[in-house]
Amino acid sequence: MTIGTLPHGTVTRSVVRELRRALGGERVIATPEELIAYEYDGTIERGKPQVVVFPENTEQVSAAVRIARGHDVPVVPRGAGTGLSGGAVAAIGGVVVALTRMKRIIEVDVVNQIAVVEPGVVNLDLSRAVAPHGLYYAPDPSSQRACTIGGNIAENAGGPHCLAYGATTNHVLGLELVLADGSIVAVGGRSREVPGYDLVGAVVGSEGTLAIVTKATVRLMRLPESTRTLLAIFDHIDDASESVSAIIAAGMLPSAIEMIDRQVIAAVEPVINAGFPLDAEAVLLIEVDGLEEATAEDAGAIEQLCTERGAREVRVAVDARDRERLWAGRKTSISALGRMYPNYYVLDGVVPRTKLVGVVRATYEIAARHGLAVANVFHAGDGNLHPNLLFDGRAPGATARVLAAGAEMMRACVEAGGTITGEHGVGLEKRDFLTWVYDQSDLAAMRKLKAAFGAGELYNPCKAFPTSRGCGELREGEIARAMAAAGGDAYV
Amino acid sequence: MSDAGSAVIASDRLHEPFGRYAVDGVRPSQVWAIHDAGELGAALAEASKGRRAVIPHGAGIHVALGNPPARYDIALDLAPFAGVIEYEPDDLTIAVRAGTPLAEVQSLLAERRLLLPLDPPGADRCTVGGMLATALTGPLRHGYGTARDWVIGMRVALADGTLAKSGGRVVKNVTGYDMHKLHIGALGTLGVIAEVTFKLAPLPRVERTLGIAAPTATAVCALAAAAQRGGLPLMAAEALAPPAANALAGLHGWALVLRVAGGPNAVERAVREVHGLADRSDATTAHDIDVATFDAGWRAAFRPDGLAVRISVRPSHVGRVLEAVDRRLAGHGAQVAATVSAGVVRVVAASADEATAPHLLATLRDVTAHAGATIVIDAAPRGAKAGIDVFGEPRQDWEIMRRLKDEFDPVRILAPGRYLGRL
Repeated sequence: MTIGTLPHGTVTRSVVRELRRALGGERVIATPEELIAYEYDGTIERGKPQVVVFPENTEQVSAAVRIARGHDVPVVPRGAGTGLSGGAVAAIGGVVVALTRMKRIIEVDVVNQIAVVEPGVVNLDLSRAVAPHGLYYAPDPSSQRACTIGGNIAENAGGPHCLAYGATTNHVLGLELVLADGSIVAVGGRSREVPGYDLVGAVVGSEGTLAIVTKATVRLMRLPESTRTLLAIFDHIDDASESVSAIIAAGMLPSAIEMIDRQVIAAVEPVINAGFPLDAEAVLLIEVDGLEEATAEDAGAIEQLCTERGAREVRVAVDARDRERLWAGRKTSISALGRMYPNYYVLDGVVPRTKLVGVVRATYEIAARHGLAVANVFHAGDGNLHPNLLFDGRAPGATARVLAAGAEMMRACVEAGGTITGEHGVGLEKRDFLTWVYDQSDLAAMRKLKAAFGAGELYNPCKAFPTSRGCGELREGEIARAMAAAGGDAYV
Repeated sequence: MSDAGSAVIASDRLHEPFGRYAVDGVRPSQVWAIHDAGELGAALAEASKGRRAVIPHGAGIHVALGNPPARYDIALDLAPFAGVIEYEPDDLTIAVRAGTPLAEVQSLLAERRLLLPLDPPGADRCTVGGMLATALTGPLRHGYGTARDWVIGMRVALADGTLAKSGGRVVKNVTGYDMHKLHIGALGTLGVIAEVTFKLAPLPRVERTLGIAAPTATAVCALAAAAQRGGLPLMAAEALAPPAANALAGLHGWALVLRVAGGPNAVERAVREVHGLADRSDATTAHDIDVATFDAGWRAAFRPDGLAVRISVRPSHVGRVLEAVDRRLAGHGAQVAATVSAGVVRVVAASADEATAPHLLATLRDVTAHAGATIVIDAAPRGAKAGIDVFGEPRQDWEIMRRLKDEFDPVRILAPGRYLGRL
């Protein structure tokens, strides 16, 4: 199979039979009603697989891949399906390999701060399992209660605490992979010293297009002695942004700096009564961790910097309950928005941090022009913004306006020196924006990497690269119908 | 590409192939000086056409790393391809050309109290490109990780002369494959690094460097582990064998050097904790040492020279490996140190020659065989490299690496033979 040639085969009854024989009937589903749940992930995109398999070990993954390859049908790896770029959607159908039953924590090496896990382990479950040893797994995407380590690896997922501790790629040391010929190969190891090209670095964030991860060796971090969370309330978003710059210029690197704008405050406050003033323009949520003395002096310094730059009020929470209440405003923001509007669409752009305010303003202007509401929550410390477009998918033409406005916002990020995704992935959603960021030579180099893994288009076709012939377009009408059918809160 | 191929080898840019461009004793027939990205692309296109093997050259500090070249026709001297492209201190990012000396970057950053927290051996002289191509690390690795954690964008000249970029100038980015990870540590065998964008760290507000001496390596490593368990804010935690302890920290016996950083109160508390740890063990009292002296000494002592070996083991095995290495290499004047938390043990026997190096190497292999260690030879006399792979034996994933090489360098002009498994 050469690159660019899409798999031609279809999933026939005999393919399903072979899968059942190899994996066992209880690990294969193929009826239309059963498959509905596997048509979508966290995005607008839809794609119908013909069969979903639930392997419980590496050999079963390998067997499923060999069968699919034998019949030239696409293979789409899937974790919890919480992704926000269409990464787990079977764009042109085929076999979905759901890794949710491979959820063993195989080893925790407390002394060397390493865990070996299967891909279906839920992100937060890993942190919970190692907490008694004073350890945790640092990358914390907002979906961490549901999303899996395998999915995190596919998308190189981030989270609020990326600012100080990095994204998934900074925490994965070794992987076991199933390649597209069904072979099983280990890359990396238990340290960064393994000789040879950084294949782990190549696979993390490759969106399931190079290999299926069946085991991961990850770094664990030590739980901090102390954590303090600050909430700073601002009348002007510029003051909030300048406070972020001042904190970093003062030599501090908080573990998280999140910003919430007025629209989100309006949605969140009636629901959780966090005490956010409805007339504030922006709220900063800042977290510092480390030694007790470190968080005390940093929190004090941050409070002063924010106050000097016009914060109306700064609250500091030390105990876990108070901290959770402050975080609730951030963490429930998306679902609170869901209560106010029938539909919403989460975007993911990045700009150099100092360009943030300008781009946020641009999102307001673009949304207004398209007759849409927009609410922004973002990782202010690293310039990663998440505008949420709020709309009613049943209104004629609404989806088209959302997609057009979303594209314009991404364009604004690129023009400010940024890019089209910081932590959600390219997937289906943004593949056609890639050429705004990369030229043909850049993409050709990426295709060389893809070729070296030998997957052709077998694994997760139509993802992560500009639309190729045969991938088609998910038409706006189809999307609108799907959204109307799915109703309100379907896109969380 | 701005220049035609012929302009690249115009006589005014054609250096004499001095010995300083030699790699493992092999001299190139030509040296091409590279001044900009266009010229680099044109040079590679030209080399590709003639199937002439090139090796990129920075300051020549780490040139000893790698297998002897299978072929070597042209040295690409990237030293003239230097300078800052874009520096945004408020965004904590900087973009530089590959030939830029690392030390120049650090001085510029220090003016705004920023830091690129990478400190390989020879950091005072190496170029940014050389540092990335070899991916060597130093004591700061304890607190800051490796080069792959700090590179956010890269422009690379491929074998056919095209320039390809990946990443960008934002600190968080999942747009497209993470291509630059492939080139870090690849010795220029998949492409030649042209331009790099880094994210930066703020310099800590307060910093103290403490040295503690202890009778054994195990004791030193136990102290390092205790400091880590205690969550102390450490930029570095480096274990030193007696000769290095004496030379770099003025201590007798084994030593642990802890670089404590943060706000004033946090540093005060951490220093107190370190004293407590030392007092409760059979170590000496912790005392302040001069970080500049330590840094300079470390960079010089562990520059790959003579025989230089990097041993990687589980952090919990570092103490045992250090002791065994020190015992078996006694009398050979080797410098030995370890970044304990990373499980990296460095051994440099600068005076080793072709006669002594093979024996030392065999001893090191023997010593580490039981510890599940991997060994990479960062430098060895030419004769000692014969018949061995300095990166060790390829593993099952080497097949993917070979295919990567096939894709990126089909006619084998990029430092052929120098990488793992002679790629």
